[in-house]
Amino acid sequence: MDGLDPYIACLAGSFALYLLLRRGPLVMKLVGALLGLGTMGWLVVICSEVVPGEVDPARNVLFLVFATIAISAAVRMITHSRPVYAALYFVMVVMSSAGLFLLMEAEFMAFALIIVYAGAILITYMFVLMLAQQASEAEQIDEAPLYDRFAREPGAAVIVGLILAGTIVTASTTGLGQLPPPVDAATVNTANGALLEQLPNQYRDAVLAADPDLVWPPEGADSVPPIQWDADGPYVHVEGRDVRIDEEFMPSNTQHVGWSLVASFPASLEVAGVILLLAMFGAVVLARRQAEHSEDELRVDAGLKPVHTIEDEEGGA
Amino acid sequence: MMLQLASTFSQLSLSQYLVLSSLLFVIGLVGFLTRRNLIVMFLCTELMFQAAAIAFVAFGRYWFDFSGQVFVIFILTVAAAEAALALALVVLLYRRRSTLNADDWMELCE
Repeated sequence: MDGLDPYIACLAGSFALYLLLRRGPLVMKLVGALLGLGTMGWLVVICSEVVPGEVDPARNVLFLVFATIAISAAVRMITHSRPVYAALYFVMVVMSSAGLFLLMEAEFMAFALIIVYAGAILITYMFVLMLAQQASEAEQIDEAPLYDRFAREPGAAVIVGLILAGTIVTASTTGLGQLPPPVDAATVNTANGALLEQLPNQYRDAVLAADPDLVWPPEGADSVPPIQWDADGPYVHVEGRDVRIDEEFMPSNTQHVGWSLVASFPASLEVAGVILLLAMFGAVVLARRQAEHSEDELRVDAGLKPVHTIEDEEGGA
Repeated sequence: MMLQLASTFSQLSLSQYLVLSSLLFVIGLVGFLTRRNLIVMFLCTELMFQAAAIAFVAFGRYWFDFSGQVFVIFILTVAAAEAALALALVVLLYRRRSTLNADDWMELCE
């Protein structure tokens, strides 16, 4: 029966979501919120029972806090009747996922997410929301429009969600045992060393910090000597002896991401830039107000005489 | 320092992040299906992007492969382009009928 646990948890979660989405008394929504929180706790328990491995307790606490904030803000986002508040709750989701990225040591992505998502994209959404809300809210200040207040067919949508959630959650809990084990320290070290060899200045600083008297790069060598590892950490064999390298000179996460972006995906980077440019053109062309030019104005602009003169118009009218 | 950090991201952590990302994705999907406001529907697609980004970074962390984070950069690009175009279209639609209700534009799908 163990294999069924994730499905049952998803069923409970979907029911909680249904209670929150449908129109009903406040008590039922409270019940839904509690049921949802309980389900999240249960999913955590299922994870820790089914999947092997250990987690750092401090990190785990932070993960649980951020995950709870993210999911509750997401649920509130799809249940709130005011679009502006929905956008603000989405900012909360973005913030907490930036926190999760920090926990996964993806510092660059965490702050890029805050700057780009919360700072730029969401502000665009807010602008359009405010632009579009003027007319409807001038009439009824307290009431959101009818189509914002009620969910459309929450039952059917929740069933679709249940099927998807059941499959993915089961695959990522009970099915995860078939995944190969995570990388070991040796692979990480090799990757770090390989990148450091590509960064000449940082490599030189690292070696010279360990031994200021060395000539670096070594004379007569075509390439820099490779970084090697033993139980005490990284070292490089140069001029007949081993020079220890301090681990703080190892490449940071940002350097890894930058290297991977430029060395492995240069064409995709260019295409991404083109996509952004085209999207900007498209948005400008689409949202521009069409100014009406009469035939005469166009002719005058082109340096021709207008066909209709003022007397013509007066006479014709 | 890197040594210690690398050993702490176990399969259990990966599974926690994957479950979180799938829940966020499903919430975004349900929101897309239930909300009738055009702008909120697009917000829900952004939520699904967010869920995908978390899964990408988690897998990248698990394998110590930075392509995951590079893909998140591309996700940000696509999200920004989508937001610009979609919002421009929504502004166009709103000018025609002064409503954001998706049901009012039912004839577009016929």
